[in-house]
Amino acid sequence: MLVSFNLVMALAAVPAALLARRVGPGRAAAVGLAIFAGAGLACAVSEHLSTLIAARSVQALGGALAVTAVLELLPATVGSERRATAIWATAGATGAALGPAVGGLLTELVSWQSIFLIQVPIALAAAVPIFAVARHEAATGVLSTELRRTGRPHLLANLALAMVSAAIAGALFLLVLLLIEGWRMTPIGAAIVVSVMPLAAYVASRFDHLVSSAKARAAAGTILISGGLGGLALLPKAEVALTVPPQVMVGIGLALVLSALTETALAGRAPQAIHGGWTISARHAGVVIGLLALTPIFTHDIAEQRHDAIDAGTAVILDSRVPPLLKLDLAQRIESRLQGEKGKVPTIGPAFDPLPSDPEERDEVVLLREELQDQLNRGATHAFSPSFGLAALIGLLALIPIGLARRVDL
Amino acid sequence: MSEETRGRALVGGALLAAIALVGIYLAAGGSSYTPAKPQDPCKHRAWRSPEGLQQIAEQFTLSALDGAACQLGVSRETLARALATPESRERFTERYGISDEELARAVRAGLLRAVDDAEEAGALNPLLAVPLRETLKSIPLDQAIELINNAESLLDNAQSFLGPAQGLLEQFLP
Repeated sequence: MLVSFNLVMALAAVPAALLARRVGPGRAAAVGLAIFAGAGLACAVSEHLSTLIAARSVQALGGALAVTAVLELLPATVGSERRATAIWATAGATGAALGPAVGGLLTELVSWQSIFLIQVPIALAAAVPIFAVARHEAATGVLSTELRRTGRPHLLANLALAMVSAAIAGALFLLVLLLIEGWRMTPIGAAIVVSVMPLAAYVASRFDHLVSSAKARAAAGTILISGGLGGLALLPKAEVALTVPPQVMVGIGLALVLSALTETALAGRAPQAIHGGWTISARHAGVVIGLLALTPIFTHDIAEQRHDAIDAGTAVILDSRVPPLLKLDLAQRIESRLQGEKGKVPTIGPAFDPLPSDPEERDEVVLLREELQDQLNRGATHAFSPSFGLAALIGLLALIPIGLARRVDL
Repeated sequence: MSEETRGRALVGGALLAAIALVGIYLAAGGSSYTPAKPQDPCKHRAWRSPEGLQQIAEQFTLSALDGAACQLGVSRETLARALATPESRERFTERYGISDEELARAVRAGLLRAVDDAEEAGALNPLLAVPLRETLKSIPLDQAIELINNAESLLDNAQSFLGPAQGLLEQFLP
């Protein structure tokens, strides 16, 4: 579902921008938002995965139309094209980082359907003022000549955007999975933890005007994202606090690099909607590539680590000093937990309940439980390391196009 | 501060922060994790000077699991979980393509190895080891598994049988 939404966005962004130019950005944005809202409603009432994916794809079409068209409308609202680009880029960066946190909160507090339902009034509320603009605008009707007149997109900036987006997808997607699947946190707990990233991105976006060189901001942001991902790949322990510094780095990097590269890709280019479409396309293509590259790696690694950790944990039990019958009983209960969790990293605690009544045995069993849980947590954490490492490498590779772009500065 | 200096400072700061984070996490053991690999069940594991019936039974169980796991080519840990319930045993035999007869042979071999180990460790009287081996050679699978799971009862019964018999033998033997 995640891939389908991003794939449609990647494919539809530029055609949607062309359409927005033809029918007028106000109309396009209003229609895009209406489609987004309607498809969001369809997502919420979907009963099957196939219909959910279809509705989400339609939602991506509406989103592509609205997002690219809005870029044409913003300069008139905020006063300048440069300011409009900055706001548009910052909104994109903050939204990308905020998504998993808000999604996790809503899933836990209400339901997964609420993620889509809440989008409906928000999209419609945004569409209302745009409708007023749309009523007074005339269609430009330039579709046939538009591509020739707009010139080529900024290849290096868009390439770097795609690579950085692949790395960011890794950071967000993998971290949420590590917290929920690996460390067995609740979605709300994971949402609170990953909210560090958008918070850092938001704070950093307040200060990114202090350095006007887009090249410096892009390079610094990329280095921070890769460094943060490197930190996540090398987590020394399964402790939430240890994810905070890497998240702060990724968040700051995200704010710096996305705005710098988007501004660069749009600087001096017109129409803004179409070049904005290229940046949207590059970003979402990067997310798709990131997900497709990283998912098989961590899926394989987590299955292997789970097996190794369980074996190591059982070895701890068999070699322990608890009575033999209790050992085998524990092995039996762990086996039951494994079957119940169906391939996930299991919560092992309940397998040890009820604890033995004999105080000495109980102490031994509590120690065993901690040791086994530690094995599982460390195994799960380590299972994500290669994927985080690869995401960091992809991020670092974005330095190549950034370095090659001689005219990155605005 | 010029614009260029500020840009360089930003990149330099980012680089320092990234290197510091990775360095600190590496120093804290971020790359040192390797799961504790279970030992090779075919390698002999010395008994930990057992004291009392319970500890002898524990070592006996572990030796039997090692012997059976070695025969089947799986880890002792995997086999211990497999023998926990009839359902887990069925899943195990299906997954590894092992017939009940093969499993029975392996478990018997494991029990025989446990008797050898117990004898070698001085935990089992040699007079008892001989008939015990004979009994175990043809024991049905379910009983064999029960013996692995509850070696204490087997050894307890055997010792109590041997108690008077050993007294008699000692009277007649030089």
